[in-house]
Amino acid sequence: MSLFRQALTVVRKDLLLEWRGKGRLISVLLFGVVTLLLFSFAVGPDSTLMRAAAGGFLVLALLLSSTLGLSESFRVEQEQRAIEGLLLLPVDPIALYYGKTLSNTLFLMLLAPVLTPVALILYSVQLDLQGLAVLLGLWTLAAAGLSAPGTLYAAMTSRLQSQDVLLPLLLFPLVIPVLMGAVKSITLILTGDPMSQVSAWATLLASFAIIYSSLCGLLFPHAIEEGI
Amino acid sequence: MPSRAANTAIPAVQTTGLGKRFGRQWALAHCDLEVQPGEVLLLAGANGSGKTTLLRLIAGLYKPTQGSMSIYGMDPEQEKLACRRTLTLVGHDNYLYSQLSALEMLQVWTRLRGVELSEEQAIDLLREVDLQDRRDYPVGGFSAGMRKRLTLLRTRLEEPKLVLLDEPFSALDASGQNLIEEWIEGYRSAGKTVVLASHNLPRSSKLCDRAILLQQGQMLWQGTGADLLNHVGATA
Repeated sequence: MSLFRQALTVVRKDLLLEWRGKGRLISVLLFGVVTLLLFSFAVGPDSTLMRAAAGGFLVLALLLSSTLGLSESFRVEQEQRAIEGLLLLPVDPIALYYGKTLSNTLFLMLLAPVLTPVALILYSVQLDLQGLAVLLGLWTLAAAGLSAPGTLYAAMTSRLQSQDVLLPLLLFPLVIPVLMGAVKSITLILTGDPMSQVSAWATLLASFAIIYSSLCGLLFPHAIEEGI
Repeated sequence: MPSRAANTAIPAVQTTGLGKRFGRQWALAHCDLEVQPGEVLLLAGANGSGKTTLLRLIAGLYKPTQGSMSIYGMDPEQEKLACRRTLTLVGHDNYLYSQLSALEMLQVWTRLRGVELSEEQAIDLLREVDLQDRRDYPVGGFSAGMRKRLTLLRTRLEEPKLVLLDEPFSALDASGQNLIEEWIEGYRSAGKTVVLASHNLPRSSKLCDRAILLQQGQMLWQGTGADLLNHVGATA
């Protein structure tokens, strides 16, 4: 069976689990909305400052929500050692990794349709349809860049009691380039991009997503097989 | 008993000096074992004697700290996926997702094995363990025995040549235990190899061709199932 079909089976299973237990999505969404709300209070009524900071706050909401989502995605795998059941099948662990990474990316992408309008309203930002489409594209690249190493680290820490502390400690330093790229590019979309720099930042985001997913895909079998 | 022809074949499992250490503690040490195709081998011993560790090493879930091993002549390190196609392990855990139904669980397992299971086939399988009426219920609501029955169906998917069972009788009622006995007899008739670890010695010793007693990670004794009962009775 091809790696691709095995990965798709994992995605299908994860999406079904997500659909059945909507609690994770709702709690992560609420967490993201509350984060954006708190940041808007912290900045105050200065609309210029709010617009300038909106991109950063959106990415922060994505980052903080992602750690919740990532750790939860492996909690269901460890509940009755279901991941062990998958590894006992003739499944390539690389297929498991890409399946989990893709479903985590899709999960983070689902945050965009809720968090983006909330941010636009709270931070008084006007955005046309084209800008919105570009923002969603950048969000997708940022989600992929966070999910790729996040899935590896979530798997590595999934059996540890201190996962909630360890996961951000391991993940945040590694994803700094993704965060920088995401903040800069989304801020340019929200505040205007007279020098047409967005495409350069988008390329950087895409490059990190590809590099991380390639490297982490190679490391995942070693991390998961002795870690289960 | 395994046939003479089977005895001359490549061993189903062969371990040489196999050992596994966790920290400073050796869970299994210097294990030399040969299991012939078609043989039913019982691993007996107290808690912590190394039965589960040995099964997990054979299944490839642990990497050995020392020694080597082959599964039907294959090196599990080099031919990992081929080995996993050959064997199945049902351990202490159920490997289930609480929010999926029994039917969906079977479909996930079979799809990942590269097989598309029709609903009729899945229901037939579930009928074997008397779960056909619960096929659309989330397994999170199942009793421990029902979960165990569902997990044991993994040994019926794709019909692996080597079946590893860790406490297969636990959590099951009398009818469930009888069913597992029937399955093990069926595997023996079909020439499959079974390695089971169990504390239920009266039941499992009747099923096995050979029994091995483990103590603190060492192979202490081996003989027939009937001898095991005498040995354990004499040393108790």
